[in-house]
Amino acid sequence: MVDLWNLIILNPMLNGLVALSSVLDGSFGLAIIALTIIVRLILVPLTLKQLKSTKVLQGMQPKIQELQKKHGKSQQKLQQEMMKLYKEAGVNPLGCLWPMLVQFPAWIALYQSIMRALATTPESLLNLFEHLYPWEVVAQALPLDSHFLWLNLGVPDSTMILAIIVGGSMWVQQKMVTAPTLDPRQRSMNSMMQLMMPFMFAFFTLMFPSGLALFWAVSNVIGIVIQYLVTGWGYLGRGALPKLPIRR
Amino acid sequence: MKTNLTKFVVLFCLFSLLAFGCAEAPTGFSGITCSDGILYLGSMDGKIMAVNASARSQQLHFPADGEWEYAITTTSQGGLSCGPVSTPVAIYGTPDVGGDLVFIGTYNGKVYALSTLARSQNLNFPQTRDKEWFYPKTNEVIGSVVGSPVVSDDAIYVTSSDGMVYSLDRDTGDKNWNSTVLCDKLWSTPYIEGDKLYISTFDGYLHALSADDGIITWSFAAELKIGFVSSPVVSNGVIFIGSFDRNLYAVKVESNETLWKFAGDNCFWATPLVSNNVVYASCLDNNIYAIDAGNGTQLWSFDAGSPIVVSPLLVDDSLVVVTESGNVYVINPKTGIGERIKNPENDNKPTINALVQATPCAQEGIVYIRGQDNWLYALDIKQGEVIWKFPLTTE
Repeated sequence: MVDLWNLIILNPMLNGLVALSSVLDGSFGLAIIALTIIVRLILVPLTLKQLKSTKVLQGMQPKIQELQKKHGKSQQKLQQEMMKLYKEAGVNPLGCLWPMLVQFPAWIALYQSIMRALATTPESLLNLFEHLYPWEVVAQALPLDSHFLWLNLGVPDSTMILAIIVGGSMWVQQKMVTAPTLDPRQRSMNSMMQLMMPFMFAFFTLMFPSGLALFWAVSNVIGIVIQYLVTGWGYLGRGALPKLPIRR
Repeated sequence: MKTNLTKFVVLFCLFSLLAFGCAEAPTGFSGITCSDGILYLGSMDGKIMAVNASARSQQLHFPADGEWEYAITTTSQGGLSCGPVSTPVAIYGTPDVGGDLVFIGTYNGKVYALSTLARSQNLNFPQTRDKEWFYPKTNEVIGSVVGSPVVSDDAIYVTSSDGMVYSLDRDTGDKNWNSTVLCDKLWSTPYIEGDKLYISTFDGYLHALSADDGIITWSFAAELKIGFVSSPVVSNGVIFIGSFDRNLYAVKVESNETLWKFAGDNCFWATPLVSNNVVYASCLDNNIYAIDAGNGTQLWSFDAGSPIVVSPLLVDDSLVVVTESGNVYVINPKTGIGERIKNPENDNKPTINALVQATPCAQEGIVYIRGQDNWLYALDIKQGEVIWKFPLTTE
């Protein structure tokens, strides 16, 4: 299973990353950015499907809030009414999750490629050779130049800059999609979620090689752009709910 | 909101699994040096050890005569709520021995000189009267040391991941000189010939440095600046070295002339062995190649069935090759015909049932191998069997 994963997904992506680095004047940082863009572009159909599903759910928020007001005291009744609403609108509340799960293998491979290509320890450099193709363009790129802008991509960023970019961009992305709610419990949970994920990734940025954090940052920025093109700024900077038609 | 929570939990679990599953901590693959019946090596748990081969064959209690161990640890802050944590260092180089002193560099950026006398008595480290020291002498560190230290009459030389070569006084550990930054990081072992140190770099240079002051006296840039992955070896005025482009290069010393290059199907990670005008080169493509040192012609190749990470050894009249998977082959160096030493417990398993990435050594017909399982194995080449094994993690 591991061999199949390496053969079909990881090795092509890893070699592509190293080859890109060679083509982009030996810059591994640019290669990470380029490959992240390429992977995100390939995944655009799935991302759009996920966003559309989210958009429909967002459009239903006023109705959901009405139901929350009406049946707030009876959770069972509320659930029944909400399921009825989803059914009428022809949406599955978990519909936005599946495209995201389908994208995971690509993200995992991209993540593993970056970690392997960075080869920060002698063991990992040795291990890297098992995955490389005998291409001259790959050999020319090795070992990868780990310097990019102010970063050493093989070690965590000692300044807070990248952590702020990763955390900030993730917060913006979350804020764009999270609908405001009248339910205080849900509002509190939303606020916690909106802060916890960016904080968690900002914290990881301080602990993991900055090459990986660069991938998160670029991925977030592309996510924001795609999100903007589909839903506009969404809920960023405004509390009102967007007036989107419910598909019947 | 349940959807959001599910998303978060799924993301967090997957990320944690990936992050901590893939992050590779340095474990080390320190090689073995044989000296007067004692084996010096670094263990996987950060210890420098002296193992008496004779005592091990008699299965005496450790430490027997001439045996000792010294644990090197590094102290770091232990995360969010923990206090300082002491962790064992990773050791990659092979110790070098000069008189009563054993020299080693560690991945946390320190160089140590350990006295066999002081360590046998388990005295506090460092015993300056026994010429023990560590460098840098403060809490500071140099870059990670991956290559092996090399000892000359009055100095030791180490490369560091800060890209510099250091010359340290053998008796005191005082710094004689450090070179300019030669590369982003230096992981190779220097080769001393005469008053010159030969250094290979990841960015495709070979440098000759004056052993007296570290001044670069000669540099050679590889074709297309393709980096050198192995440490260099010099024989009859020619440097032999493996490169990232899967070639083994022969470069004439003090010239800009590549005499020949020999292509493998993967990298030549280990330092080649040169004997009687033949280069024996281990390759990650599973083969050991015998190459004419004069013209680069292949004399023979032997498929060992698994990548070969360590240099071959000449033991008596045989070439001994240890593969990464733990198989040991005894090969006729003239014909390239060889046999695998069988695993006494199960013929279908490798000779020693462990990954091998550490440089072995040989003495009096016995080959000593440290597996990545942190055991030390002794193989009698003539008998073709493992005669003893010893766990390096002791209670």
